[in-house]
Amino acid sequence: MDSVGWEGDSVVQRYIARERDTHREPRVRITGLMMQYHEVCTRELWFFSRGVDIDRETSNIQRGTHIDETSYEGQRRSFSINGRIVLDMLDSGEVMEVKASSALEAPAKLQLLYYLWYLDEILDIERDGVLAYPAERKREPVELDADSREWVEESIRGVIQTVERDEPPELEKKPYCDSCLYQDICWV
Amino acid sequence: MTKPNHHIFADGDLKRNEGTLRIDTLDGETEYLPVESVDTLYLHGQITFNTRALGLLNEHGIPVHVFGWKDHYRGSYLPKRDHISGDTVVQQVRAYDDPARRLSIAEDFVAASIHNMRANVRYYDDKRGDFTGALNRLEGLKQRVCDDDRDSIDELRGIEATARKAYYRCFDTILRDPFELTQREYNPPTSEANALISFLNGMVYTSCVSAIRQTALDPTVGFLHEPGERRFTLSLDIADIFKPLLADRVAFRVVNRQHISIDDFESELEGCLLSEDGRLAVLEEFEKMLDETIEHPRLNRKVSYKTLVRTDVYSLKKHLIANEPYRATERWW
Ligand code: SF4
Repeated sequence: MDSVGWEGDSVVQRYIARERDTHREPRVRITGLMMQYHEVCTRELWFFSRGVDIDRETSNIQRGTHIDETSYEGQRRSFSINGRIVLDMLDSGEVMEVKASSALEAPAKLQLLYYLWYLDEILDIERDGVLAYPAERKREPVELDADSREWVEESIRGVIQTVERDEPPELEKKPYCDSCLYQDICWV
Repeated sequence: MTKPNHHIFADGDLKRNEGTLRIDTLDGETEYLPVESVDTLYLHGQITFNTRALGLLNEHGIPVHVFGWKDHYRGSYLPKRDHISGDTVVQQVRAYDDPARRLSIAEDFVAASIHNMRANVRYYDDKRGDFTGALNRLEGLKQRVCDDDRDSIDELRGIEATARKAYYRCFDTILRDPFELTQREYNPPTSEANALISFLNGMVYTSCVSAIRQTALDPTVGFLHEPGERRFTLSLDIADIFKPLLADRVAFRVVNRQHISIDDFESELEGCLLSEDGRLAVLEEFEKMLDETIEHPRLNRKVSYKTLVRTDVYSLKKHLIANEPYRATERWW
């Protein structure tokens, strides 16, 4: 590990530098799912980052994180980039994120914005995005502007801070707990 | 919801038939078992199986517990896990290797185990006898586990053994005549009550093996029991907590409600054993008990006893990884 600090703005700068150099592993490898978790519950993010896994098959709740793999089939292609992020590109060039429902809109949006940010900052590719909720026949355009950049970078700092903690963020009841995969491990 | 366990008593062949398990018994019957709906498979008969059958069980993450001649536990076939969690095992071994942490976890096991023994005795106090003496004894021993400083696991094991003795001494009174337990004996069990308890303890043990398998903890690294014993030591640890809650309560039930009688046992040279009918009757009650539910105060929902074993192991896992307190299951209901 290096001795350079990870506080403040330099965190994001260093993250960018590391990601641009594809031969090096960043200390924290941030995936779209981690960005979502960060927005929903940092405790969930911490558990996830430790590889804490509960048996999804026997878990009493099955949340559809991978819902609708089949929607818009044929119109979108999946790309895995640097082994970090996997995104779907439409023929139009937009990045698409498909969600089962708009109930958790902010986390889904952050995830998509992170992809756009990643394409732009690391790979120099400018793209727009679209959030799609096939079940609700809804589509929402998503763009990377100054505010959303700030949101993404703030979240990257947050993810890194959370993941580097020795102990998880404190337990606190969230509306989301009842549908969280970690509920059983979290509250017992 | 948790899925049910499946028990196979017949002798025969276990095969894979496309995505289904197929059991051809020696009496010429064929049974198909949809794997998706099975939590754990128990083989009580003489069953042959091949790697294709194991492959299917593996794909579906189903543990198999194998019992041999006279239903002696032979071992378990545990499917590989999809998500290997190196971190979990590293933390588990670290805790084992740190004498203070190891002792503190072992103390949690013993305290909960004594608590649960005492809960059973308290239930029968007045109903079937006066157990004031045993209740005080158990209370005192639990206090010793929680309050005293000690530096050896052996001392802790000594307290556990003392508690268990005091506890088993109540069985003779709790169990309806002619069942009696003057002394707990195994290898081989020498009386009907001993045979019954041994059989049920085996079931609790295998239930713990299944639950541990689902949490990515390593079943061979225990805290109270020494690794190197032949069995999975972590399962032995967790089973101690649940024996009073599951095995002993089922034993009291089947005996006192006369679901089984002395005739359901066979005494032979190598000791006393449940007959096949007896085992079936006991297993039925045991499975019923696993499915019974209670309100969980922190999860805010009803959980079955089967889930309770799992949440206990989750709590331990969380303690190992996140250093939050481990809450060994103490009867609260
Ligand atoms: S159960 Fe609640 S507190 Fe725990 S990780 Fe899930 S959302 Fe967060």
